[in-house]
Parts: sequence; C-alpha cells; structure tokens
Amino acid sequence: MEQKHLQHLYLRAGFGIGYNKLQELQSKSKTTIVSKLFLDAEKYEELQLDLSEFKELLQPKKLMKLKMMDGEFRALNKKSRQKVKELNYAWIDRMVNSSSILNEKMTLFWANVFVCRDNTIWHIQRYNNTLRTNALGNFKDFVKAIAKEPSMSKYLNNRQNVKQSPNENFARELMELFTLGVGHYTEQDIKESARAFTGWSFKRNGDFFLRAKKHDYGEKTFLGKTGNFNGDDIIDIILEQKQCAKFICGKIYRYFVNPKINDAHVEELTQLFYKDYNIKKLMHHIFSSDWFYDDENIGVKIKSPIELLVSIQNIVPVQFKKKKQLLYLQKMMGQVLLNPPNVSGWKGDKSWIDSNTLMFRMKLPSILLNDAVINLDEKGTFEASFEAYYSKEKNKRRFLKVTKSWDVFNNEYGSLSAETLKKILIVGNIDKDTEALLNNLKIENNKDFCVQIMSIPEYQLC
Amino acid sequence: MERRDFLKQSTLASSLFFVPNFIKAFENMALTSLSHKKIVIVQLSGGNDGLNTIVPFNNDIYYKNRPGIAISKNSIIKITDELGFNENLKPLKNLYDKGYLSIINNVGYPNPNRSHFRSTDIWHTASDSNEYLSTGWVGRYIETYGKLPYTGIELDDSLSLIMKGETINGIATKNPKILFNNMQTPYFKKVLKSQSEAHLSEHNLGYLYKTMIEAESSAKYIYETSKTYKSKLEYPNNPFGKQLKTTAEFINSNLDSSVYYVSMGGFDTHANQENRQKKLLDIYSKSIDVFVKDLEQNDTFKDTLILTFSEFGRRVKQNAANGTDHGAANNVFLIGKNIKTKGFYNKAPDLSNLDNNGDIKYTVDFRSVYATILDNWLSVSSKTILNKTFKTLDFI
Repeated sequence: MEQKHLQHLYLRAGFGIGYNKLQELQSKSKTTIVSKLFLDAEKYEELQLDLSEFKELLQPKKLMKLKMMDGEFRALNKKSRQKVKELNYAWIDRMVNSSSILNEKMTLFWANVFVCRDNTIWHIQRYNNTLRTNALGNFKDFVKAIAKEPSMSKYLNNRQNVKQSPNENFARELMELFTLGVGHYTEQDIKESARAFTGWSFKRNGDFFLRAKKHDYGEKTFLGKTGNFNGDDIIDIILEQKQCAKFICGKIYRYFVNPKINDAHVEELTQLFYKDYNIKKLMHHIFSSDWFYDDENIGVKIKSPIELLVSIQNIVPVQFKKKKQLLYLQKMMGQVLLNPPNVSGWKGDKSWIDSNTLMFRMKLPSILLNDAVINLDEKGTFEASFEAYYSKEKNKRRFLKVTKSWDVFNNEYGSLSAETLKKILIVGNIDKDTEALLNNLKIENNKDFCVQIMSIPEYQLC
Repeated sequence: MERRDFLKQSTLASSLFFVPNFIKAFENMALTSLSHKKIVIVQLSGGNDGLNTIVPFNNDIYYKNRPGIAISKNSIIKITDELGFNENLKPLKNLYDKGYLSIINNVGYPNPNRSHFRSTDIWHTASDSNEYLSTGWVGRYIETYGKLPYTGIELDDSLSLIMKGETINGIATKNPKILFNNMQTPYFKKVLKSQSEAHLSEHNLGYLYKTMIEAESSAKYIYETSKTYKSKLEYPNNPFGKQLKTTAEFINSNLDSSVYYVSMGGFDTHANQENRQKKLLDIYSKSIDVFVKDLEQNDTFKDTLILTFSEFGRRVKQNAANGTDHGAANNVFLIGKNIKTKGFYNKAPDLSNLDNNGDIKYTVDFRSVYATILDNWLSVSSKTILNKTFKTLDFI
C-alpha cells in the first residue's frame, strides 16, 4: 500500500502511524491491512478503574444509610466525582496505547454522537464501555443500550419521565441529535414517543428496570404508526426511516472522510447502512473504497484537541507526572473528555480554532516536549469562590511536569533523513513557503526537527 | 544550552530569506464602517442573587422567604418606596444619582434552564432554551461587522462562546504583552514571515494560515496600541479590578475594538451567602466606580456602555445553608453617560407570582437588551445578529 494512503488510513481509523509500523505494513495489500484493523478492533478491552472503594454506594439506599454516617456518604460521593477525572486520564492513555485503535477511534466518535455527562463514576464508566462494546456493532442494539444507560437517563431527565407527567427531553434529543436530525419529526411525535419511555429507570448498580406503575401502556401514534409502543418499539420505528441511516452516515462521513460532504458517497453509504445498520460493514466499506484515498480527502481534517494530543504521544511517548496538567491542556484547547459543552457535543472542524486555541495548539509540541513556559491560565469554574476563580493566576511561570521518552523516539526516528521524518509527520500538502522554510532550517538533530515540524500549521491537520 | 532555547538558536542561526510579506495587507484592513461606540459586557459568573442586590425592602414575601439572609430594612440604601440597593453598592448609588445607571428588572427567557453551563450558553449565543447554537452573539457581530479578531476582546486567556463566530472569532487576553510575546516566539514568527501570498482559500489549511496571521496582527496591534496609555487611577487590588483596568487602558488608548467581555467569578452562593455576596458586590461596585472615572477623565465614557448580567438569578426562598439555589429571571445593569431611562427601567419582580420552581418570572427577554444595544448603540442590524426580531427597549 502506498505510504501516503497507509498514513491516511491510520490517521482516520486511529491516531496516526509510526515509522516501524509503516515499514512493517507497506508491502501488504489494502485488503490485508484493512482486515487486520478490524481483527485488532475485536480484541478491545473495557476501560476499568478500580472502583472497589465505592462498593458501599451500590447497595439500596435504605441499607446504605443505616451503615454509613451522612458525612461519610458525602465524602464518598465527592471521591466518586474526582474519580471521573481519573477516567479522563485513563481514556487518553488508552487511545495512546491501545492495539485496538479502530475500536478506540470509533468510541471517541460515538461519544460525540451519544453525548452525555455524569459525575457518578460507576455509571459513566459503564456508559463509556457501552460505547466501546457497541462501537462497531449493530446500530439498533446500540441505540437501545444507550437509552437504558443510567448516565443518559439522568443527563436527559428520562428518570423524571413518568406517565403522570411526561418529560420530553430524552425523546426530543433522541430524534434531533442521535438519530434523525431536526425537521424529520413533529412536536406531536416527541410527545407520543416520550410516553413510550415513561417509567424507564435504573437500580443503583446501573441495571435497567421498568417502574411499571410509572409507565404509560396506552396507545401511541408515532411517525404514522399506531400501537401500544414501548421505548424499544419507538427506536425500531425511528430506524425504519431511511433518514436515520442518512443522518448517521453524514456524521460518519464528516468525521472519518471529509468535513465537506460528497452527496454521492453519502448516498452510497446510506444504501448500505440502511440494510442492516451494521456499523462494522459500513466502516469496512469506507476504508476499502477507492474514494476514501482520493487526494481531496487526505490531510483536510482539523485534528480535535484530543487527536492532536494523542498523535504527538504516538511519536514521542510522554508520562504526565501531574495528571491535572493533562486536564489543563484539554481546557485550554477547548475539549475536556467526559465534559462536553452540551448535549449537541463539540461542533468540531473549524470551530476548534480561534486566535487563542491555534496559538496554544501550535505551541503544544514545545510545551509538551521542550519545556516551554506556560503563561496562560485556564478559566475559573462557576462554582468557585472569588478567590478560587482567579487562583490559577498566582503561579505565573509554569512548566509541564512530564517525562519524555526521547530514547524511544531516537530508536525509531533518530537516524532518518529530514525528508523521511517530515513525510511521516505531515500527511497532506505543505504550504510552499513553509516547505521552503523547513528545507532551509539548519537541522541539528531529529528530536529538535520533530518539534519544529509539529509546530507548523500543517501538523494541525490529519 | 537550555533545551527551551534551542528553537531560538536553530532558527535564528540560519539567516532566512525575507519575503515582502502580505501581513501588512491585513493590518491595514481598517474597520472603516464600524461605529466608535464601545460596549463592555460584565458577567457576574455563578448567578448573582439579584434580590439581595436590589432589595424589595417593603415586601413581606421577601422577608418571609429569607429569614436567615434577608437584608434588613435599616441597612439598605433606599431608592424608591419599594426598592433599595445593598449597602455595599454605594459607588453604584453614586452612578445612579448622576443618571448614569439603568436597572432592568426580571430579565430572562422562556423555559429557563438552571444549569450554569447551559444558561450561560443561552445568554452567550442568544438562543432559545431548547436550541443549541455554536456561535455567540458578539462573535456573530465581530464576524459580520468587524472582520478582525480584535473587534472583540475577552479579558481572559481563552475565548468564551459569546466571542465565537463561524470562521472569525474575537480574541482573548488579560495581558497584551504575554499575548504578543506568545506570537513572537522565533519559530512561530518565522513561519509567519515566510508567507508570501494570502491564503484565502476555503480549505482548512488556508483557514489555519489566515487565523494565524490575523491572530499575530491582532496581538501586535493590541499590544502596541494599548501600551501608549497607562491608567493613572488606582483600581481595587484584585483580579476583577485588574481586568477593568486593562479594559480602560484598551479603551483610552483608542484601540479600535468595540466589544469587551469580562467575567467576574464567585457568585454561586449556595451557602453562607450574606457576607460572601456583600464582599463581591463591594469589589464589583468599587471597581466599576474607578473604571467609570478613568473613562470620564479621558472623555471616553460618553462612547462606552457597560452591561452587567448573570446567567440566572437565584431562588426567592433561601435554602437550609443560609444560601440560595439557582433561579431564573434577574436584574441587569446598564451604565453609560447618556442613559435614556434613568434609574429603574421597569417594575420590581412580582414575588406573589412565581413559576413552578418558586423563581422570578421574566418580563423582559434578554435578547431585547441585546437588540437595543445592537440597533441603537452599535448601529447595526440586530435581526442579522440575533436571527430574529426582538422588541427594542428605551434605555439608550
């Protein structure tokens, strides 16, 4: 497979490809390489933090209150919220180190389709793994699983959705953001479908259960069909709409192929996906198609902050000594995993970029790999006191505390020619003036040159 | 050699070609059509308790609902028969006496959201409560009328949604020197300097270069212009005072920016509210007072309007921790030299007619405030920016 195409595939199906792997795969055919990506994806592992200290909180509330003092209960809940940050770090580590990269990339993608936020660690970890398990599975099973997740139930108020007083939030977003898109259903459809999800609830350990007394068993008319539908029936009916396949294929196309839609390609994908909603087949079709490798699709996507962070670490492994600083980087670039701005998620593409984020992103390689000074503060939080809101300002000159594995880098890249290194780091075209600049640089070693290449605008693209 | 010096060494060592750059072209792109009016937007972040700010001191419902935290009649700076200022707002009372202040009560929107994040988004984007927009109302103004990032400046190190457009955004800085220096690292500068042609293509690479060039020229312009004026007044020694001082330096150095956004934190008073809020109101009003004086002394106050809002007000009934929880409609302050409706713009909140959560109902849509500022102050089309027509008000 041509090097450029192989790089393109790995940037989109994963987070980039290193020199050794390129050497290993280059002689193989596209069919073999794509099949291997899917084989590796099947061997994914769930992301599991040690949550044994929260065992007590999983019992029914009555039992728990007897055993635990109120203060103890609150402290444990607070700890749970802290633990969500650890899940953030672990997730990023996973993307850097996983050998099931396609499955991880799909998980990251779905997290911005089925957008959700929750402070309860054992619920949100479970949610995150539901994304992982279904990432390349059947879309129908996926939607039904998501609808029963405690984190989603809380996030979109489905827990408050009861027969006596239906809450439409989940039903609305299910159609607007998760399956059909605005304009493909009526307000009446929302009302009727909300009734079908009434009484859907969960136990403290996260398992789904139906509160029968709160469920509306009556007749509903939804998208032209009438019956005593429950939530699963509603999802079935939604997926019968071809619009659903089209909507999801559009999202997939913009994320994995090109931020600009090609109608013919999306139509081709829609036809295929609509047959059985098999995500794996859909992705296999994309990565096997000729048009995926067209020049117009290569190097034209703006990396998300997470993709940028992970792609750098793929070339030079780093260890954060202060994990909080990983959170700082995400905040400054505008994407904190597990903390989406709202249910519509991150808009992506050009909206990642403004004067401040671009400057920060281009400085990131120096900050991360070269001990450049950090002189910018993250924003305070809404809940903070006046002092805490501005507290970050006290420490003016800071560095990231990270260990960089330059030895690993040097083993793989140390002796490569400048031209080879450049081609590995930048997949798309380089602006001709910047190219001239690079060609005229006095290169002392590949380590320095690597940081410099990562600092040109072209490195922001994948 | 220090590792962090290497970029300097390795890039400056090779004497590079100097291509006549086109960066100048951007720098000279003057904001010809913009009015010289300024708007300074202050968000009291966390949700200021409007009822203990502007106090309905003759209202029994107020005192009944807040046995632990109501402001006593004696300490209030009385203005009308029913409303008075919190005692820590003396400087604001002075502005009121001069006719510089208009207070709009009960500002909000239909189906209020009580999450800080979501409600801030709604105020920032000027959306309906069930609508998700990815651009801010100021961002759209910058994009439509300003064209360059420095049209709108946020006094912080990263940009909030309010300042974001589709492809043109405002710029954030609380220290123009740091912003400038960050753009002047030798390597960054080198990449910029080597650009010989404008990248105006729609493709993402062109967009990145364009943003980079505009960021650099905005940072340079802000730094070099603003350093010509240093404020001579003494601001309260706290971060909010500093934000306003920097804003005054921007305005008084005749920086060609028309919108400034400042967020002041700390207003989420769920517990032990009384002293916390008093301190905050003290910081707010003293800083605003010096800010207005600074502008007056430089004859820029006549062209500056200051809008103060919170993402929501707080619940009428206090909670068990002598604090208040997230509420809905709230008061908004407008400060300027030529305020039309001075003092109270409209009626005090009706505490006998609350919503289902026990929160104040809105009577003025916040987008009417924006529309008024856009149409009557910045002299642009509010419909273009807000995508809808909102009734304008009569404060300016």
